[in-house]
This record gives sequence, structure tokens and C-alpha cells, in this order.
Amino acid sequence: MDSQSKWIATRVRLGWALLAVGVVLAGAGVWLEFQYLYVANNFRILTGLGILLGGIGIGFVVRYRPALKDTLSARRLNAEERDERTVLIRARAGNRAYWVSAALIYVGLMWVSFAWAGLPQLGSDAVWYYLAACVLIPFGVYIASILYDERNL
Amino acid sequence: MENRLEELRDQKGWTQQELADQVAVSRQTIISLESGRYNPSILLAFRLARLFEMPIEDLFLYSEEDLNG
Repeated sequence: MDSQSKWIATRVRLGWALLAVGVVLAGAGVWLEFQYLYVANNFRILTGLGILLGGIGIGFVVRYRPALKDTLSARRLNAEERDERTVLIRARAGNRAYWVSAALIYVGLMWVSFAWAGLPQLGSDAVWYYLAACVLIPFGVYIASILYDERNL
Repeated sequence: MENRLEELRDQKGWTQQELADQVAVSRQTIISLESGRYNPSILLAFRLARLFEMPIEDLFLYSEEDLNG
């Protein structure tokens, strides 16, 4: 087995592992949700994480499994993953997402810090939504940046 | 930066995918290179120049305007 086929086999194994972890987490989340209805914590977060990991796992398996016995596909997939333009596009997207993330967290920090000076206090719900935005907006910027650079670079 | 990649690839009768396979990049990178939207790393430029058996400066046409761009 050459190095590219080994690399593909590793990715397929990673995909199956992620899928297995995802199924266990999602199952545990659903079970906990029904088992401990009185617990304040929302176990849907666990279920959601399981679905996310499972989805990533399925994506890995679907993408890499067909290349297990096809050396040309394996070589092309390997070249695509290590392709310098792809690496550059991801790096640029990561850089943009980082600065958006830093700006959002800085604004949130300043808001909370200066709430005593007359800014409206953030309730726990508002903080939760703000933190969720701090996760989702940089992710959106990352995806949008990749799409933009894929077209323009 | 302008380059003669498309012209030289056509001379060899290669598709973009065949050229991409030979220098271990994606087909999209070859498309971007040929359209002049993307400038390659020095390593990729060397690989392409070696493949076409010519000096880099005959493949990639550097001009002073590129310095400002």
C-alpha cells in the first residue's frame, strides 16, 4: 500500500470513528433528555454535537471510501487536500474568521465591562444568544470567505 | 502575473486534469493559474518549469507592473 492509499485509509477510519462517536453522543443526548426531564440543562446540545460529528463522519466516509481501491482517485484527493491554493484559501478564511471572532468577543467584553456606566445589562438569555453568535458568525465568515476566494483566486 | 501555461499545455495535448495530476495540484489551481488569477509558489513554479523543460522566466512572464499589483 503506497503512502496515498494509507492516507486515504486513515481518513476512512477517522470517518467511521467520528460517525460512531456521533451516534453514541446523539443517542446519549436523546436518552438523557427523556430520562432526566427535571434537569435544567438542555441535553439537545449533546444530541446536536452527536449529529454534527456523525455528519462529518459520513462526509469523510462518502468522500474517501471510493478512493480506497482506486489509486488515481486517491492521488487526486491527496493532491486536492494538499493543494497550495486550497491551503491558502483556508488560511485566508481562518484569518478573517479569527478577526471577526476577536472583534465580537471584544465588543461583548467591553459591553459587560461598561454596563455599570449606563449600558443595558445583558440578561442570561441575551448572553447565550450573543455567545451563540460569537460561534456562528465567524463560522459563517469562514464559509463565505472560502466561497469568495474559490471564485476569485 | 501572465504565463504561457495554457499555450504550452495545449502544445503537449494535455487536459487541465492531466497537467494537475503531473504536478500534484487540483484542476482548479490549473484553471486559476491559466487565467492569471493565482500566482504559484516558487516550488510549484519550479515543478511546472521542469515539466515543460524550460526556465521559470520563460513560463511565467514577470513585469514591473506585477511588483505593484
